[in-house]
Amino acid sequence: MTTVPPLLAARGVSKAFFGNPVLRGVSIALQPGRVHALLGENGAGKSTLINLLSGALRPDSGEIEVDGRAVPRMTPALARQAGIAVVQQELSLTASLSIAENIGLGAYPKRFGLIDYNELASRAKAACALVGLNEPLSTPVGRLALGRRQMVEIAKALYRKPRVLILDEPTSSLSATETKILTDLLERLRAEGIAILYISHRLNEVMALCQHVTVLKDGTCTADRSLAGTDAAGLVRLMVGRDPGDLFPKWRPSASSANAISVRGFSAGLMRDVDLDIRAGEVLGIGGLVGQGQEDLLLGLYGAIPARMASATVNGTSGLPGGVPKANALGLAYVPADRKREGLHLIHPILTNMMLPAFARLPALRLRSRRAEHETGKSLAAQLAIKGDLGRPAQALSGGNQQKVALAKWMPHDPLVLLLNDPTRGVDVETKREIYLMLRAFADAGKAVVLLSSDTPELVHLCDRVAVVREGRITATLDRAALSEEAIVSAAMGAEKQKVAA
Amino acid sequence: MTAWNDSAGGKRASAILKSRPFLTLAIVAAVWIVASFVSRGFGAYGHLRYLVELGAVIGLVAAGQTFVVVAGGIDLSVAAIVTVSAISLPLLSWQADPTGLVSVIAVLALTTAIGVVNGLGVALLRVHPMIMTLAMATFLQGLLIIIAGGSAVTAENPLVHWLGNARPAGIPAGIILWIAVSTVVLTVMHATPFGARIFAMGANPLAASLSGVPMTSTTLAVYGISGFTAALAGVLVLGMNGQGYVGIGDPYLLASIAAVVLGGTSILGGLGTYAGTIPGAILLVTITALITVVNASPGWRSILFGSLILGLLLLSGREQARR
Amino acid sequence: MSIIRSAKSAGALYWPVQAHRNIGVRALFLVVLAFLVAYGVLFPGLFTASGFGKFTQSWFPLALVAMAQAILMLTGGISLAIGATVSLGAVIAATTMAGPLGVAGGAAAVALAGLGIGAATGFIVVKLRLPAIVVTLAGSFIIGGAALLILPRPGGAIPAWLSDLLAGDTPAAFLILVVIVLLWKLYLATPLGLSLYAAGENPVGAYRSGVPVDAARVAAYAISGLLSTSAGLFVAAQTGSGDPVIGTAFTLNSIAAAVLGGIGFLGGQGTMRGALAGSLLLSLMISVMFFLGFTPVAQYVAQGLIIIGAVAIPQFRKVQQ
Repeated sequence: MTTVPPLLAARGVSKAFFGNPVLRGVSIALQPGRVHALLGENGAGKSTLINLLSGALRPDSGEIEVDGRAVPRMTPALARQAGIAVVQQELSLTASLSIAENIGLGAYPKRFGLIDYNELASRAKAACALVGLNEPLSTPVGRLALGRRQMVEIAKALYRKPRVLILDEPTSSLSATETKILTDLLERLRAEGIAILYISHRLNEVMALCQHVTVLKDGTCTADRSLAGTDAAGLVRLMVGRDPGDLFPKWRPSASSANAISVRGFSAGLMRDVDLDIRAGEVLGIGGLVGQGQEDLLLGLYGAIPARMASATVNGTSGLPGGVPKANALGLAYVPADRKREGLHLIHPILTNMMLPAFARLPALRLRSRRAEHETGKSLAAQLAIKGDLGRPAQALSGGNQQKVALAKWMPHDPLVLLLNDPTRGVDVETKREIYLMLRAFADAGKAVVLLSSDTPELVHLCDRVAVVREGRITATLDRAALSEEAIVSAAMGAEKQKVAA
Repeated sequence: MTAWNDSAGGKRASAILKSRPFLTLAIVAAVWIVASFVSRGFGAYGHLRYLVELGAVIGLVAAGQTFVVVAGGIDLSVAAIVTVSAISLPLLSWQADPTGLVSVIAVLALTTAIGVVNGLGVALLRVHPMIMTLAMATFLQGLLIIIAGGSAVTAENPLVHWLGNARPAGIPAGIILWIAVSTVVLTVMHATPFGARIFAMGANPLAASLSGVPMTSTTLAVYGISGFTAALAGVLVLGMNGQGYVGIGDPYLLASIAAVVLGGTSILGGLGTYAGTIPGAILLVTITALITVVNASPGWRSILFGSLILGLLLLSGREQARR
Repeated sequence: MSIIRSAKSAGALYWPVQAHRNIGVRALFLVVLAFLVAYGVLFPGLFTASGFGKFTQSWFPLALVAMAQAILMLTGGISLAIGATVSLGAVIAATTMAGPLGVAGGAAAVALAGLGIGAATGFIVVKLRLPAIVVTLAGSFIIGGAALLILPRPGGAIPAWLSDLLAGDTPAAFLILVVIVLLWKLYLATPLGLSLYAAGENPVGAYRSGVPVDAARVAAYAISGLLSTSAGLFVAAQTGSGDPVIGTAFTLNSIAAAVLGGIGFLGGQGTMRGALAGSLLLSLMISVMFFLGFTPVAQYVAQGLIIIGAVAIPQFRKVQQ
C-alpha cells in the first residue's frame, strides 16, 4: 500500500530493564505526511519506545530503521542528524538562558567559532512565529509560565527543521488557545510531509488530529491501524482491554450540611479574597485553566504556604493550621500533583514512604516497631492493590502505583479532609478507576474530599460541587445539577462572569 | 511463614555482606592484617588500641556530621567547635566543681547552642548549610583568638583528665565513650521516628515537609547534635593532649567528612548509616598511621593521604546520579 | 508589526540578553558602589593612579579565585582545592621563573599545571561520577602535598622586574583583569562556553538537546584550575617569593565571594559579573574594616554576619513573594 519507505521505524524491538521486559517485539512505522498516535496506559512502554526511536536507549533485539535502512547503533547524535526531534514530557530547558539561547541549544549557528547571535535571532524568531510565541527572544525562560515553556520546547524542536517530530504529551500544560495553535501547526507540518508521532491521554485530541494509531498494552502492540472508523470508546477498549463505561463510580448524594472547612476572605499565593465552604461528606472539585491559583488554594489551606484570611474554621477549630504538622493534627492530608518531586522519596523503600506521616507525628524518640510497620504496610498494600516487595525503592514502581503509595501513606491517619492536587495526571485508566472508587468511598464515609483536577470529565462525573478558579478568584461554584463540561469550561474562560451559585 | 522469614533473613545477610559499611570494615581488617606483617609492632594490641582511641575522636565528630549529611546538609564548623570546647573547658574550671562534671556539661550546652544557631540560619534564614556553617566557623575563629590569644591552655579538669587517660578494664575511657555514643546514635538514627525524619528530609525535603515532618525543629536538632558531638570530641582530645590551643580541632573537619563518605553515606543526603562512619573513622587513622610508618616528608604524606582517600572512593563505589 | 519587531530583535539579540543578566545583580552593584564610595571617602588615595593600582592589586587574586569557583558552581560543581591550587601556582612560579625556564617558561609551567590539575579533577568528577566535594577535598591534600614537595618552606624568588610590573606602581593588575573578563565574555559566546548554564541547571535536558555536557564540565574544571594557579603566580609576584601554604584562605573566600555574587549551589544560577562584584565587595569589606581600625575579631564577626545577611535577605524576599 505504501510505496515510500517510512522515515523512521522500529521493527520488532524488545527492551528489558533489570530483567523486566518493558517492550516485546513492537513495530511502528512513521510515514511522511501522517500524524501517528501512540496510545497506551502508563507503564505500557510508550516512553521506552520513544527513547529507542530517538537513540537515547538501544533495543535488546529488533531494529531501528531510518529511511528504510537499519541503523545498528542509534545514538541521540545520529537521531538528530537524521532529522528526528523529540519534545519530551519533562522539559529540557534552562531557566537562566533566554528563549533564543534555549531554542538554539546544542545547535547554535557559528561564526568564527562564536555563536552567531544575529543568525540565531532570525532562525529562533521563525521557529517562535510558528508556535505563536511573541515574547521578546531575550526573555529568560525562567520568567515564562509553564505553558509558554512548553511552546518554547516545541519551537526548539522546530528550529532543527525536523523530518520526524515526536511529541510526548505536549498539551498537558497548555491552555485551550495554545492547544489550538499547536493542533493547527501540526496540521500544517503534516501537509509539508513531516512524520509526526503524537502521544496524548486526551482522546478527543487524538481523534481530531491523527490519522493512524498504534496502541501499546503491557509492552506489546495491540493495534496498529488507521483511525478512520474508530471511536474514543473503541480506543479505550484497545488500551485497557475492557469497556470504559464504568470508569466513574455511580454518583449518589453524600454531602452533609456540616462544614469541614469554612474560610472567608482567604488569600494565599495567587488566590485573593476567597470565600469557600467545604462540607463533610462531599467531593468538592476545583477546576479552571492551568495556573490560575488552584494549587495555592490547597497549599494555603494545608499551611504549606503563608495564607491570610478574615475568618476560618477547620474541623471545628477556628483559624487555619498555618503549618503542615498542625494541619495533619487537625485531620488534613495533602496529595501533591508531582509525585516524584513532592509526593515520594523515590530512593527510599515503599514501606518507609508509606510510614512517613506516622514518623512525622509519633514522639521523636520513641522506639519504632518494625513488626507493626510491616503489618501496616502489608494491609495498606493489600487495600490498594500495590504488588511486590515493599522493601524495594519507590522508584521501582510504575507511575500509577507511585500515586497509590502517595495516597496510601495518609490512610492510617484517617484524615477528615483529603486535599488532592490532580491525583490522576499521567495515571493509567485502571488506576484512575481505583482512585475514583476510593475517593467516593471516602466521601460516603462522611469525610471531605477536595479534588483539584485538570481533567474536566473527572470533575463532572465525580464531584458534588465544582468551584472554578480564574485569576486567583473563585468565579463560579457549580452544583451537581448545573455541572457539565461546558459550564466548567465557560466559567474557566470567563465567558459567564458573576454567575455564582450559592 | 517461616520460609518467608528464612528467605528474608538470607536476603538480609547478603545485603549486609554487600553493604558499604561492611566493605569499609573489610578494608580496615585487610589493611591491619597486611600492615602487621609488613611493619613490626603495627599489629600489637597496644598499637591497635591506640589507633581506635584516635579513631574515637574522629568518630565522635563524624557522628554529628553523619546526622547533618544524612539530613541533606553539611557542617563545616565542626573543627572550630572542637577547638571552642578544648579551649573553653580549661578556662571554665573552678573550685566549686571538684569532679569537673559541671564545666563539661556547661561546655556541651554552649556548643549545642552554637549548633542550634547553625540550624536556625539553615532552617529559618534559608542560608545554604555550607555558607552558614562556614560563616559560623569564621565567627568562632575570631572569638577564639580573643579568648585564648594564641597561647595553649592546660586542662585541670579531673573528668577530662580521666577521659583522656583512664583505662577501666584495660579499655581506654575514650573508646568506652565512643561505644556508648555509637549505640545511642545508631538507635536514634535507625530505630526512632526522629531518625526516619532526617532520612526523609535528606532524600526529598519538599516531600518530607508536605508529609508533615516538622522541618525547622528537626533541622535545629540535627545541627545541635553536631555541635554536641564535636564538643565531646573536643573534650576527649583535650584529655588526651592535656592542653588546648587554637587550631587543635583543624584536622577534624576534613576527617569527619571523609569518614562519613568512606562509610558509604551519600554526600547528597538521604542515604547512609553511622555504622559505616565508624569503620570509616578507623580507616582514616589507620591510613595516617601507615603514612607515618613510611616516614616520608610532609609533602609526600599529604599526597599519599589524599591519593588513598581518592583511591578508596573509587574502589568503594560511586555516587548514583540522581536529582 | 511582527516584521518590524523581528528585524529589530534580529539586529541585536546579544545585548538584550546581556541586559537581562544584569537584572539579578543590580542590587549587588549598588551595594558595591556604596562600599566603593565609602572606601573612597576613607581613603582618598583611591582616586590617584597609584592608589587605584594598589587597590586593584589587593583585589586581583580574590577576583580570580571567585571566577574559578563561580565557573564550577555554574556547572553544578564546587572545589575545596582552590586554596591548594593557588599555593601550587605560587611555588611553581617562585621556583621556575628565576631559573633556567625564565619568566615565559615559568608562566607556561604555571598555566599547564593549572589546566592539567583542573582537567584531571574534572575527569574524575564528571567521568567517574564521584561527588565534587569529596574529590576536591582529597585533591586539596594531593595538590597541597605537591606544593610542599616543590618548596618545603617559604622561599624561591620572582624576578624583581616582574614583581614591579605586576605588583608595583602600575595599573597592570587592572588591565590584566580587564583582559581576563573580555576573554571570559568571548568564551561565554562560544557554544561550549554557553553550555555551562545548561549543563549545570538541566544536564539531562541539555544532553538530549545535543549539548556536550561532559566536555563543558571538564572544560570548566580546567579553566578553574588555570585561574587558580594564575592567582598563585600573582600572589608570588606580590610577595616576591613562594610559600606552600599561602593560598589556604582562598578556598573559603572564593566560595564566599561567589555566593555573595549570587551564584547558586545547584548549578546554572548566577552570573560571572555577579561573582566579580561579590569578590570586589568582599575585598572592599576587608579593606574598609582594616581602615576603620576593626580588630581582627570584629572583622571576622562582621564578615560572617555580612555573608549570612547577603545570602539570607534575597532568599527571604523570595519566600515572602
